[in-house]
Amino acid sequence: MDFNRRQLLTGTAAVTGAMMLGSPATLAQAKPRVVVIGGGAGGATAAKYIAKDSAGAIAVTLVEPNAKYQTCFHSNLYLGGVRDYASITHEYTGLAKIAGIEIVRDSASMIDRDKKEVVLAGGRRLPYDRLVVSPGIDLKYDSVPGWSQAAEEAMPHAWKPGAQTLLLRKRLDAVPNGGVIVMIAPPNPYRCPPGPYERVSMMAHSLKAAGKDRSKIFVIDPKESFSKQGLFQEGWEKHYKGMVEWLGPKVHDGLKSVDPASGTVVTGFETYKNAALVNVIPAQMAGAIARDSGLANASGFCAIDPTSMKSAVDANIYVLGDACIAGDMPKSAFSANSQAKVAAMMIRGELVAARTFPARYTNTCWSLIETDDCVKVGGAYEAKDGKIAASSTFVSKTGETAEMRKQQQAENMGWYAGITADMFG
Amino acid sequence: MSRRLAASVGFLAASSFTGACAGDRELGAYLSNECVACHQISGHVTGGVPRITGWPEENFIAVMNSYKDKHRDNPIMQTIAGRLADDEIAALAAYFGAVTSQSSAK
Repeated sequence: MDFNRRQLLTGTAAVTGAMMLGSPATLAQAKPRVVVIGGGAGGATAAKYIAKDSAGAIAVTLVEPNAKYQTCFHSNLYLGGVRDYASITHEYTGLAKIAGIEIVRDSASMIDRDKKEVVLAGGRRLPYDRLVVSPGIDLKYDSVPGWSQAAEEAMPHAWKPGAQTLLLRKRLDAVPNGGVIVMIAPPNPYRCPPGPYERVSMMAHSLKAAGKDRSKIFVIDPKESFSKQGLFQEGWEKHYKGMVEWLGPKVHDGLKSVDPASGTVVTGFETYKNAALVNVIPAQMAGAIARDSGLANASGFCAIDPTSMKSAVDANIYVLGDACIAGDMPKSAFSANSQAKVAAMMIRGELVAARTFPARYTNTCWSLIETDDCVKVGGAYEAKDGKIAASSTFVSKTGETAEMRKQQQAENMGWYAGITADMFG
Repeated sequence: MSRRLAASVGFLAASSFTGACAGDRELGAYLSNECVACHQISGHVTGGVPRITGWPEENFIAVMNSYKDKHRDNPIMQTIAGRLADDEIAALAAYFGAVTSQSSAK
């Protein structure tokens, strides 16, 4: 009898214990939490799609230090005077209105992967069930001999939008007729493969429009070839004859050094002195938060699972956009936006059992060579053999009609309006 | 007997056509993600990217198939449509067809 009674009491205690253990679990079930680091094409899109498609069932916190966002895409069009700065500037007010999104104006200083918390510069800790890391690129300031972060005023990069974009435009506008511009092009892989060459085109457009057609742009490139090369070179010959000279490594024989104080660029073959403007676009790597958190490999970028965009090293983290290694996809805003939608779907699948479909990705990059002369390259992509592989690609052809190129520029402007509406709201 | 057979063939043809239009909206919503990187879900038109919301489903399917078959020549649309199966095109037609400028399918 005693034995039975004790057994009964023990049993009751066990039940009570289970109930007590049960209550914190019930609290934790309140709402799954997703933190998104970075409010660019990857992060803003991911935050929006997770929140809207889960109809508020997932609490999304977007961490972004800037109140306003200037797009890197179309910043070359600002440089060329084709569009104004206000038109490439966006706010987060639309995103903030979507139910389930909290926007925190701060930067992430650390990811505590064991505790699943993001520590902000301001000290706040944000616990997460899933984390999206979309910090974009950092510049390798030591990749160009003689150049440094301290020299980015004298020799701007303008490869991160904002103050640098404004500075480069100011410096371009101040180039005298006959002045020499030298662009140091970046090695692969880097943000926006056709970007440097669209920039050369828009610089030449600006010079020509200002009647400064005795000026000349030299491109010192570490690469043997570049994106849409035939199209750009055809366009430079057609629109800016004698104003652009592209030099591959066999021709310039290596970039030896730059001197920001005197505007000098030394290559194995030639020394450019007193350049009116030197635009240094250095080598690149994933943003610091991704590298410091151990998400990047020796390449400086982050390996991902091509079927989901999940980090190869942490099952609770997704890495998007320029910071990740996306196989055949270029580092572009379009790619980041496409990857974000796959990640958002997979995250909803994991956290709220939403229906998921096999990942598929797309990208298109338009480049403006001269007003009304726009070319494009793009493709469709899928997970194949452990990477994101192109299943189909296309690129503009040399010799296309002026009408077709003009139509492509209209498409380019339409895409810009479309993707920014898609990102912000 | 032969008349009944003809009637049932007619019925089958009609139902398979209806089936092509009755797309899976959830699949369509996912597939639509790649469309709305350029075509605005609000129906707003900027530059050279047309509105694709609120179309009759049959028209949407016909246009997508014309890109898939390369009768229309935009290489982006040929690439997008080229990998879409018939049921996926039907799903997109159903999804975008149900989006009107007044609806809030943002």
